[in-house]
Order: sequence, then structure tokens, then C-alpha cells
Amino acid sequence: MSLREKVKNHLNKNPFKGYFRRNRLRPPGAVMEEKFMELCIRCARCIEVCPYESVKRADLFDRLQIGTPYVYADERACYLCMLCPSVCPTGALDPNLKEPEKVRMGIAYIEQDKCLNYLYVKDENAGGTQGFAMICSTCYNTCPYTDEAIKMEQFLLPVITDKCTGCGICVEKCPTDPKSISIIPAGMGNEDLAGLYYQRSRKNFKKAGDAEGYSGDDAIKKKMSIDASGSKPEFKFDYETTDKIDGWTE
Amino acid sequence: MAGQSKIKRYRRLVQAAVFMMMFIIPALNILEIYFIKGTFYSIDVGNAVAADPIAVFQAAMSSKSVNIYMALSVVIPILLMLFAGRVWCSWMCPYHFIVEGVSFVKRKLGMKKSFPVHTPEKKRRTETARLIILVCFIALAGVAGIPLLNLISAPGIISSQALVLVKFHYVTFELVFIIALIIAEFVFFPFFWCRLFCPTGTFLSLFKSERGMHLKRVSSSCSMCGSCKRACPMGLDPVTDGSSLLCHNCGDCIDVCPDNKKQETLRFISGRQHNFPS
Ligand code: SF4
Ligand code: SF4
Ligand code: SF4
Ligand code: SF4
Ligand code: SF4
Repeated sequence: MSLREKVKNHLNKNPFKGYFRRNRLRPPGAVMEEKFMELCIRCARCIEVCPYESVKRADLFDRLQIGTPYVYADERACYLCMLCPSVCPTGALDPNLKEPEKVRMGIAYIEQDKCLNYLYVKDENAGGTQGFAMICSTCYNTCPYTDEAIKMEQFLLPVITDKCTGCGICVEKCPTDPKSISIIPAGMGNEDLAGLYYQRSRKNFKKAGDAEGYSGDDAIKKKMSIDASGSKPEFKFDYETTDKIDGWTE
Repeated sequence: MAGQSKIKRYRRLVQAAVFMMMFIIPALNILEIYFIKGTFYSIDVGNAVAADPIAVFQAAMSSKSVNIYMALSVVIPILLMLFAGRVWCSWMCPYHFIVEGVSFVKRKLGMKKSFPVHTPEKKRRTETARLIILVCFIALAGVAGIPLLNLISAPGIISSQALVLVKFHYVTFELVFIIALIIAEFVFFPFFWCRLFCPTGTFLSLFKSERGMHLKRVSSSCSMCGSCKRACPMGLDPVTDGSSLLCHNCGDCIDVCPDNKKQETLRFISGRQHNFPS
């Protein structure tokens, strides 16, 4: 990009209106981000009405977005109950939106070098699994639009279609850390065109090699280190488990 | 209007109720009762909505559009201002409630009241200054292209902090702004924020009308004791400035007026009746 273009982009782009991050989504029915920042008066009605505490208030660190609502998909996805669009006093969320399948908060994106299923297939193609690989398919199973928004290719490889609502349920449930699937918010642009802020934050991005987490080969190594004969890997249910079920005896 | 401090008693009741509501509303919402929801930027009760007019005005300005939801949400607040004057400020605003607490503490501590002297000149200057400040603020929001003034709306911030506190059990950085304001209230003259800077209050007062409720000296005689002048938190002379946009109809002056005990001297009226030379 030429210098002139760079300057032009910096000056023409209002820094307050085009600020995107992965897995940080506007609630369902939100108008385009630019318009949203103009319309949202930060009244928090959408935050109050969400029964799942999915909608959160942006904090100071999100620049002048303080107080605007966000769904942080990796913490708590939107369960598409469709309560919030109708309470917005300014139309920043489209109050006429009633059908959850029409929501487009963003689109899910699977990182194939982290996803367990992809790793499994890669592992298998490389000459048969050695019993370490795991099949996950969590995203496919938790998506409210299984087989529409997310499909299985070769019965194993999850693929996102344009029916994806961007609700982020798959992200919340994906078991890998860092997540193998994330939502690209609607309207997130090319980083070269994203203006001043993005340019600055890009400098802070870690190079792929220094990044934390596991690249594909690391993930396989990590999995291979789980050894059933040794100590049990720690595993905690995030719901209450019961040994006994009323009316049933073992 | 015989009983002293009668108005103040009702006012405190309303203020306390509104203050409690800030915490009760999110608690109700946690229980999935959505009859009433929102903050003091915008709140809805059943199907009735009310939004801070300056907030909606900015949204309309920056998006260059007005839709039916915006228009409907400012009807109630504007009607209230037209009929009852700037009562939001003195009767409901949580920030005003807190600042009245501050001036109470200041009095207890024996700090000087340091009201600016009530001269018609000073009053006029305050009245002009706050309008100019509002225009500057709006211009700033226009340049930023987003409803920027919501970030300094004291009642909105306080109520949304109450919401995050109840719902998510933390507070955010905006609280620092409120704390700074409260500290400033100790240092500067009383109610400096409400008198000069608050965009919500200034904008609301624009809808105050002579036809709505306002203060008036209704008796031809007045002992000119000046009690009302000293009591006015906005630094007005109630005998003459009843229809000033600064007056927020708190009624403190009516409560302190000694002449009111004998004969109605100072009271709220609507419309342009009872014209006495002052
Ligand atoms: S649709 Fe329902 S779950 Fe999703 S953000 Fe809105 S209120 Fe929350
Ligand atoms: S209800 Fe609308 S205006 Fe209020 S915070 Fe949510 S999106 Fe913004
Ligand atoms: S793939 Fe399914 S679960 Fe994931 S964001 Fe799209 S619709 Fe939601
Ligand atoms: S939930 Fe995550 S790891 Fe599992 S299949 Fe989906 S993207 Fe892959
Ligand atoms: S001027 Fe502003 S802060 Fe003061 S009482 Fe009115 S709304 Fe509240």
C-alpha cells in the first residue's frame, strides 16, 4: 500500500466506528457497526433483558465503545432467544427481527491446524492413527442449525456454510485452548483498511512462531503426552453429576 | 402551604425510591421479570418507553436519521418537562441526590457554602455559559460521530454502574468519573456540574415552558428576607427568577419562605397567571 493510501485510510476512517475483534459480536439484529456506534445510546436495555448474561457492557479498554453491548462468544454465546432486538430504543438493534435463523452476527471460522477433527484426519492420512487422536465434533453437535449452518465433510470435517448465524455456541463449547473455531464479526474488514487503531495493534501481534498455544504439530505432541496408563488427566464436568437416578437401580 | 419542609419530604421520598429502583430493576431482570428494564439513558415500563432526550438527539444527529422508536422514546420525558419543568433533576436524578448529600456533609463539616453571589449579572452569565457549553459538547459529539455525551451523563453512568454491579458483580472505570465529580463538588461551588456542565440537565431545561409548572411569587407583599435566595441550590433569586431555565423546581425556596406561613407568597403555578410586580 502506498504511503498516500495509508494516510488516506487513517484520516478517512473514523476510529470509533470500525473497531472489530474476533469473537466480540454485537447482539442479534445489530445494524452495521458504523451505524451501530451512531445509534446505540448505551442504555443497557439489551444487557438487562438477556436471560443468559450473554450481552455484556464494553469496558474502558474498548476505547470509546464503553457501555455498548457485546457478546463475547468465547465466554458466553448468544442462545438466539431473540429477546434483545425488540427492546432497543433507537433501532441500533432491529426490533422487527424475530426469526433466529435470520440473525447474522458474524460467521464462524475453523482453524484447521487446531481443530481436533482436522488433526485427527491429518493424523490418519499420515499413516494411520496411533490411538492418540481424538474426534470431537462438538461444534457440529451444539450448533442450533446442525447440517445447515455447519456440515460434516467426509463425516468428520466440520465446515461452515452461509447459514451460520454467528451465535457463537460452537465457540463457547469448543474444547481446545485456544479455540479452534471463532466468529468473525459481521463487517470486520481487511486489516489493511481498518485504520489507525488496527495498524497500531498489528504491531503488537505476535509472530505466528512466538504465539502462545499450539500449532498443529504441537497439538499432536500434546495429545500424545496424555497417557492412559499413567496418571489420569484432570477432567471436570461443568454440570452436576449424579451417580444415582431416581427410579433406577444399577 | 403551611407545613415547613413539606415539599422536601416528598422530594426525598421520590429521590430515595428512584435511587433504590436503580438496584431493584436489574435484580428483577435477573429473576427474568422484564416488566421494567433499562437505565437512566433509557428505560421502559411495560410498553411505555422513555429515553434521555439528549442521548436520542445525538443518535439522530450522528446517524442523520430519525426512526419511530427514537421519536416515541422522547415523548414522555419532553411532556414531563413541558408540564412540570426540569423536575427530573431535583426529583429523580441520582447524581443530584448524591450532591445534595455532599452539600449536607459540607454543612456538617462547617465548610463555607461559597455560593456565587446572587446578582442578576452572575445569573445571566451562568445561564448563557451553560447553553454555550451544551452547544460545544454537541459539536464535539458531532465531530466524533457517535453519541459521545453519554460518556459524561452522570445519571446514566450511575444507573448503569448499578446495573453492572447487581448483574455482573463488578464496576467499571466510568465510576472514577463520578467519584471525580463528587470530589470536585467538595472543592468547587455547589452543584457546579448541574448548573453549568451536565448535558442531560441543560438539554432537558430547554423544554421548560412558562405554561408548565414553575415558581412564582404570588403575593404582592414579601418581607424580602432573602431566605429563598440563600436556599436555592442553583443560585437563583426565586422571587424573580422562577421561570429561569436553571430552576429545577426543587421547591426548597418554598419550604423556607417564612411568609408562606402567613399567606401564600412563593409557590408553584402553571400558566401565566398572578402577575405581581416584583
Ligand atoms: S438473542 Fe437472547 S441470548 Fe442472544 S443476546 Fe439476545 S437476549 Fe441474549
Ligand atoms: S438496547 Fe440498543 S441502544 Fe440500548 S445498549 Fe442495547 S443496542 Fe445500545
Ligand atoms: S456454526 Fe452454528 S453454532 Fe456456530 S456460530 Fe454458526 S450457527 Fe452458531
Ligand atoms: S468443537 Fe472445536 S475442536 Fe471440536 S470439531 Fe469443532 S472446531 Fe474442532
Ligand atoms: S443537571 Fe444532570 S446531573 Fe444534575 S440533576 Fe440534572 S440530570 Fe442530574
